[in-house]
Amino acid sequence: MSHAIRADKFLLDADRTTWHDETLWFVREKRDRAVYAVPEFQELRELASQIKNHTLSRLDLYLQEFEAAAQANGVHVHWAADAAEHNAIILDIIKKQGATRVVKSKSMLTEECHLNPYLIQHGVEVVDTDLGERIIQFRDEAPSHIVLPAIHLKKEDVGDTFHTHLGTAKGESDPQRLTEAARQHLRSKFVAGEVAISGVNFAIAETGAVVVCTNEGNADLGVNLARVHIAAMGIEKIIPRLTDLGVFTRLLARSATGQPVTTYTSHFAKPAPDKEMHIVIVDNGRTQQLGRPDFRASLKCIRCGACMNTCPVYRRSGGHSYDFTVPGPIGAILSPNIDMKKHASLPFASTLCGSCTDVCPVKIDIHTQLYKWRQVLGEANEIPASKKWGMKFMGRVLASTRVYGLGGQFARRALRLLPHGLTHAPSFNAWAVARELPEAPKQSFREWYAKQPQPAPQPQSQVPA
Amino acid sequence: MSASRDRILAAAKANKPEELPLPEVPLFGGDATAERFTTVLAGIGGTVVWLDGLESLAPTVQQLFPEAQNTASALFRGTVPVDAQTPTGILAAIDLAVLQGEIGVAENGAIWLPEANMLHRALPTITQHLALVLDRRRLVATMHQAYAQLPGTGGYGKFVAGPSKTADIEQSLVIGAHGARSLVVLLY
Repeated sequence: MSHAIRADKFLLDADRTTWHDETLWFVREKRDRAVYAVPEFQELRELASQIKNHTLSRLDLYLQEFEAAAQANGVHVHWAADAAEHNAIILDIIKKQGATRVVKSKSMLTEECHLNPYLIQHGVEVVDTDLGERIIQFRDEAPSHIVLPAIHLKKEDVGDTFHTHLGTAKGESDPQRLTEAARQHLRSKFVAGEVAISGVNFAIAETGAVVVCTNEGNADLGVNLARVHIAAMGIEKIIPRLTDLGVFTRLLARSATGQPVTTYTSHFAKPAPDKEMHIVIVDNGRTQQLGRPDFRASLKCIRCGACMNTCPVYRRSGGHSYDFTVPGPIGAILSPNIDMKKHASLPFASTLCGSCTDVCPVKIDIHTQLYKWRQVLGEANEIPASKKWGMKFMGRVLASTRVYGLGGQFARRALRLLPHGLTHAPSFNAWAVARELPEAPKQSFREWYAKQPQPAPQPQSQVPA
Repeated sequence: MSASRDRILAAAKANKPEELPLPEVPLFGGDATAERFTTVLAGIGGTVVWLDGLESLAPTVQQLFPEAQNTASALFRGTVPVDAQTPTGILAAIDLAVLQGEIGVAENGAIWLPEANMLHRALPTITQHLALVLDRRRLVATMHQAYAQLPGTGGYGKFVAGPSKTADIEQSLVIGAHGARSLVVLLY
């Protein structure tokens, strides 16, 4: 099913679509205010971009440096080539503990690997502890945004969900009281957690530490109460030095939500005495993306979500319409790398306006990559025949003055004569589904121009402008 | 070593681009005043309270948190002794933790809290309220200067910027998600 068809479902509720659009734009505006308050923000973006470019150009070496430093800290380091191996490694660690209760803080990588259903299937209770993640876990949904997982839901939806799962009063929709109910519920889970799983925002090659950024403190609470901490990281999370972290911590939260920094920026390097720490380093298609020069810059992404908040298509189609772990503009360039056939429509879910590129804190050329993916998909025959032949046909028409003129004549007549039902037949003209066709003028510009009197020659100005 | 490790490293080596330089990160300048720090911290839900000196710490805390029953602190005698072995059940009942912060960042209101100052790794988040004591001379402008002053990040350590919060329900800001419901910074 294409992005456009799934987006149609979201658009059925016009009020909700408008609300979704405005909510994300509000976050985008907060981002702008936070960014303008930092005089060197553009310099920081350039530094972040260069640090990431450099890191990718020595990725194998930094991964080994990180591994050695982490092992010297007493951390167990595991390597997973794909999602299946990632899941198997984590289940194995849990089983060896004889544990059945896992608390998890937010990790898009474990979403990408579908870890939760895998663990549940093997008898492990997995509780997502980020509030937004917990809400969608109760509802058996996927996150619709990487930073704001439940952004598609209204407080009344959350109230209904909590009434069903947490026994809050029916009709309760006050965010303060709903959050308090979740706090009490999740505290009992933290206290009982045997193994804590976290994602990784940054991994520092120099020190072997992983850095996790949250506002709720759920990663810290989970990890520090459980016996075992498992951190799951993609290979692209590496940065070389502790000093580089100063650049990224100044960019991440400002770009994501307009905060000066996340409430907690936690550095986990060594397990507490008598406890264990594991890091699972995951490829799952990333080294392949590294080998595609046109698309490797997508590996610089720090998952702030700024490109989603600003994207006019994302805001009006909702995260679920992308049907990929990472939705929005960045997701649309990451997903075809994973499965070109399944995600072929995503690079077309963009106006190519470039707003995503403008806000990206690590300067990924997102809209250029979207455009490039369209070429690749076209050559690989992964675009619908109607679009492909339509484009070919229009290419011919636009290449020839004579054909273009004839086509114009034909179209002006056809627009006047053909019935609305035919010009707007959805199977025939998808473009007109949500648009009115223009009223056809009597003559073309060229015809009009040819009838105008020749203008008198203008005297050449002697004074330079 | 695992076969996957070797495969991943070999693929990264084979597919990486030509080496690009690593830029030096400047320290940048900036406003490191207590005024700036106070304003930014207030903007993210925290509070600054001035101490006349460390000797007034206990009475000030008593005045600020008169209802705190179970208190833990490395800086004065709390009611609950906490160390790295303290069981979860006892930690979960703590109302107030008073700990020493090391570096304050004026630009974002964050305070560096190393493991050595936490008594227990879970204490700063499991406590209902958190007070961090900070020497005004340890204020810096930005994260760059903060990291430059750190000897390292140790086994565990974190920047804490305000109380635990969330905006996951319709973008409504709610203070007190899972961690401490409030943060007071006691500057001296």
